[in-house]
Amino acid sequence: MSNTTTTTNIPDRSWTGRGLARERWHGYLFLAPTLLFLAAVIVLPLFHAFWTSFQRIRGLSSTFVGFANYVRVLEDEAFWHSLRVSLGFVSISVVAHVLLGLLLALALNKITFARTALRVLFLTPWMVAAAVGATIWLWLLEPQFGVINYILQSAGIISAPIAWLGTPGTAFAAVTTVEIWRGVPFIMLLTLAGLQTIPAEQYEAAEIDGATTWQKFRHITLPNLKYLLVVASTLDIINVVRHYDIIGIMTGGGPAGATEVLPALLYNTAFRANRFGEAAAIGVLLLSMVLVFAAMYLRITRVGQEDDRR
Amino acid sequence: MNRTSPLGQAGLWITILIAAIVTVFPFYWMLNTALKPQSEVFLSPPAFYSANWSFDAFRTLLIERPFARYFLNSLIVSLGSTLLSVALATLAAYGFTRFHIKGAGALIVFLLFTKMLPETLLIIPYFRLMSELGLINSHISLILAYSSFALPFSVWMLIGFFRSIPLEIDEAAIVDGASRITTLWRVILPLARPGLVAVALFTFLISWNAYVWALVLTTDPSMFVLSVGIANMVGEYRVQWNELMAAAMIAAVPVMVMFAFLERHLVNALTAGAVKG
Repeated sequence: MSNTTTTTNIPDRSWTGRGLARERWHGYLFLAPTLLFLAAVIVLPLFHAFWTSFQRIRGLSSTFVGFANYVRVLEDEAFWHSLRVSLGFVSISVVAHVLLGLLLALALNKITFARTALRVLFLTPWMVAAAVGATIWLWLLEPQFGVINYILQSAGIISAPIAWLGTPGTAFAAVTTVEIWRGVPFIMLLTLAGLQTIPAEQYEAAEIDGATTWQKFRHITLPNLKYLLVVASTLDIINVVRHYDIIGIMTGGGPAGATEVLPALLYNTAFRANRFGEAAAIGVLLLSMVLVFAAMYLRITRVGQEDDRR
Repeated sequence: MNRTSPLGQAGLWITILIAAIVTVFPFYWMLNTALKPQSEVFLSPPAFYSANWSFDAFRTLLIERPFARYFLNSLIVSLGSTLLSVALATLAAYGFTRFHIKGAGALIVFLLFTKMLPETLLIIPYFRLMSELGLINSHISLILAYSSFALPFSVWMLIGFFRSIPLEIDEAAIVDGASRITTLWRVILPLARPGLVAVALFTFLISWNAYVWALVLTTDPSMFVLSVGIANMVGEYRVQWNELMAAAMIAAVPVMVMFAFLERHLVNALTAGAVKG
């Protein structure tokens, strides 16, 4: 967590860092290739997406239709259904990520044996491609030969094999479980780094006062982690609300739209139904939701402000 | 410093054990299935360990299916976007950390913003623009697409590494008569090498792991990358699970190996410098 923030207190000398007076504008030369490239691969496509959202596209021809795509999307029950699915998917996943990530970080922080090895191990689901993770879970959940049905049947929890991805309720539970499995390590890692910044003296003082484990957690750990947990949750919401790969691989949004989160609705509208205008409109609406959380994130962390001061 | 009761210790290790099983079991099952001979894949009850190791699934993937080609495609586009991103990001990070840039804060926010864009929104214009340019089914379209998320990530991470190199080093080099480019190339880059390696590996990994871009921008099976090749097998009428798990291994194992070297840079990479301590 250190690299980006430790070196902002540069002594204010006229020469160093800000460059020689005669080369003041040279800095922009170093930035130019990146900025031009990003203009081409991000800004231009983004404008193109906005433009598409105001067009009706049939094959190669397109006509300007104003806000018709937005009206159509917002009048379509499928969009509101998808929004509700997203809301459920994101809130359950993020709450589970934070609770389990915190629990796991607290546990790892307590142990000294094999800590680094365990940390690497716990991070694997996050590092391996979501598409690959989802594929593995497809096999685990396979109705006839899948190992999860076998284990649950042997343990007497279920009496007959379940087609997990075949019915709406279990399909939603399944994709949410996989998202939780994938996302917990992210919160765990951030929390673990946060835990290590809490001064040991605070705990020592509390122990002298005879505080219980719960009291120490409630009055020292939690207040110290509050900022970090808020930031991490916001980032996690942004990551989960736009995530497509797991659902794309496992269900494609089905059955009966039960797992059709907004990115899945967007993909299906564009690439299955070939309605690019409406899909772009859904995308712009999704983007505006992401931006709300991005704005929250910026307010909390004040990213960028220290760079303006220099 | 933290004394824990025996009961607490037990609870601690039970928590860790359960988490470890949930984390690792899917990967164990991938390995277990990939190494099973065809005849044991559809056994009921399933074999939790089979001594009859078989590499038939891998052989089928590499000989009868175009997985060597998928692997090569993944490698080309991931390497391409990594080289492009790290080269541009090195210049940009040097500019950010060594010069007074008006509106640097706004640019940093812009970089952050690009990392938060929904990729499903961007694939629509990418698909349409690349179709018009005739670049569907080309490596270059994927390299450009991957660089759109790899470059902001690289810049963000490299700024962190470059800031940790004292500016006095640049000053000394320039006083000795070196130009800015020479300073960057001869003095700063060697110092930043561990950081550069970490950034390059992470950039490679996020490109390697990408899925939906290649799903949309490739239609010709000979241009599929690994993730799309795997997803394509999922859609087959009768899924050969041992082959599918072997394919998952081909995609996952390079990630796991690289990742073991990168672990200590992780917080910085996952948040790309976004969270302050």
